[in-house]
Amino acid sequence: MKFFRSLLAKYMLIIFLAISIVQLSYFASAAFIFGIGKTDFSSEVLRENEVEKKWHTEAKSIKSFTDVAVSQHFKDWQKLYPKSSMFWVAEDGTLLTKVNVKEQLPSKWTPAYTTKFIKERYGEDPFTVIAFLGQDESNGFIVFEIPREVFNPPLKNVYEQYGAFVFFGVIAIILFFIIVSFLFFRGIRKRLLHLQEAMEIRDVDGLPIATKVKKKDEIGQLEQSFNRMVCELRESKNREQKEEQLRRELIANLSHDLRTPLTKIRAQSYSVSKEVLSEDGKLAIKAMETSIVNIDALIENLMSYTLLTASKYKFEAKEINVIRFAREQMTTWYPVFEKEGFEIDIELHPFEKNEWQIDPIWLGRIFDNLFQNILRHASSGKYIGVETESTEHYDAFIIKDHGKGMKNESNAKGAGIGLSIVDIMVKGMNLDWDIESSESGTKIKIKHYK
Amino acid sequence: MYRILYIEDEKEIGQWVTKDLTERGYKVTWLESGEEVDQHIASKDIAILDVMLPGLDGFSIGKRIKRENKEIPILMLSARTAVEDKIEGLNFADDYLTKPFHPDELIARVEVLLRRYQKNDDVLDLQHLKIYTKEMRIINKQTDEEIQLTGKQFYLLQYFIRHLNQILTKEQLYEGVWGESYIEGDKTLMVHIRYLREKIEINPAKPTIIETIRGIGYRVKL
Repeated sequence: MKFFRSLLAKYMLIIFLAISIVQLSYFASAAFIFGIGKTDFSSEVLRENEVEKKWHTEAKSIKSFTDVAVSQHFKDWQKLYPKSSMFWVAEDGTLLTKVNVKEQLPSKWTPAYTTKFIKERYGEDPFTVIAFLGQDESNGFIVFEIPREVFNPPLKNVYEQYGAFVFFGVIAIILFFIIVSFLFFRGIRKRLLHLQEAMEIRDVDGLPIATKVKKKDEIGQLEQSFNRMVCELRESKNREQKEEQLRRELIANLSHDLRTPLTKIRAQSYSVSKEVLSEDGKLAIKAMETSIVNIDALIENLMSYTLLTASKYKFEAKEINVIRFAREQMTTWYPVFEKEGFEIDIELHPFEKNEWQIDPIWLGRIFDNLFQNILRHASSGKYIGVETESTEHYDAFIIKDHGKGMKNESNAKGAGIGLSIVDIMVKGMNLDWDIESSESGTKIKIKHYK
Repeated sequence: MYRILYIEDEKEIGQWVTKDLTERGYKVTWLESGEEVDQHIASKDIAILDVMLPGLDGFSIGKRIKRENKEIPILMLSARTAVEDKIEGLNFADDYLTKPFHPDELIARVEVLLRRYQKNDDVLDLQHLKIYTKEMRIINKQTDEEIQLTGKQFYLLQYFIRHLNQILTKEQLYEGVWGESYIEGDKTLMVHIRYLREKIEINPAKPTIIETIRGIGYRVKL
């Protein structure tokens, strides 16, 4: 059953039909030819030399050279060959008996005309046989004429008469097969193209969509396999998402578990700070506070870094107005720098195009890390500048400080994980950045190429 | 005295926060899980919730409180710092503070929320001004005269009072007061702030109440 639904079966059916029609057409044309042959021609094939021989033999055997006898002889032949014509020319050149003669013949044959006649008829149409009547030339000669077409084989006659019909019949059959084959292959092609298109379409989650299986042939099976693959792909994606979820969960839990004791330390240190303390004690508490803040930032960075390097940090780019975003970002940092006694210099001018395709959480994180760095490593300069810069090739945010520069590391220097995160995030959003650092300060540019 | 419902399962942290808040004049009800929330919540002014709790987690408790008591502000206080957690929390909660936090920051945020929900003092002393926040009456203490504001000036000042100590960008102010999106270069806001300053500042040329934060926006600091 399965076989009969296959394309192979269909194709074989077409081929089989084609072959059988060719065979049938042989039989049909044979029947046709012989059918026609019977009505128009004798079933025997005429041969020129046989007719010639017979004409000579019978002319020789005629004994009575009268008009009646010759006419009788002509009539007998006429019965045998309806299309033939015959006449008798006497010894002195007089045209005697004529049967079925259509051309103009002279009543008196001169030697010159006779020679011309013989010359004209030699090897031409109609087929002409000239024989002396009786045993010698004294009784003149009889002439037999018949159109040469009667000697043609029957098929030739069919072609001559029904040629156009056969020709168009053959063309029609060929056209029919071309059309059938064309339709067959066009059907296959259409479905393959459709399948290809279906393979190109993507769902919202970026996966291909299963296609509808209409027929159960080879292409149908291909579609089924494709659907199976889509299914597997979706499962694998789900699995991956689940793993990702687990990983995030694990990191979130780890971060939580680290922060809880840190909060307890802060609780204790805060309680201690409320007691009456010596100067040294106060300093120790202050140092402890700073460490708590630093550890907190480190945990956060470590978690982010782990997720980022494993490409598991959530990234959702959208078009946002970065000037506005930067300004709002500054509203939370301004009081922090203000409290530390920084000179704050903010110059945010609109770019030609304020909308950048970025993830606001990522950009926020970049700013946070850079500001945190200034707070921790460059607070000696007591200066922070945030400004915009537009050049021919890029728009940029510039974050400046008057610290001692990156080479002259501050005491709070760590593994540089904060800047590593900035680097990954900047590149992840197709931005660029560079750092100019000297002893009089650091200048960081976050560039968006036009 | 403000009544705070505080849910925290870590004893040390719970004791510490309760003690500190109590010392600062708040009345704190501290629960170690969310089981008895329903009995207490109705009488409270604000809820501070931890996320990781035995039984029902802080997000579920918070959502339930918000569903039944829309007028109670919720502050999530959690050691979970992932962006996803913050986003989930801020879907219903009014603020999200991560551990380890400084008690001063906690208090500041609690006060902002109480003010936003107009649960705090009726009277606000702002330099030479006395502001009755419920009816938004402004008295100049030096002259004992009431200052009359036009509609937009009134809303502008009210917006500042609701966001005391916060720096507000031009966009935030314009969109908060006018309810339309801000178009770069629009001078409407500046003009209204100038009029407002002329009415409430002692010296409008050197404003002290509405500070200009250069490059960012404005701020009213208590």
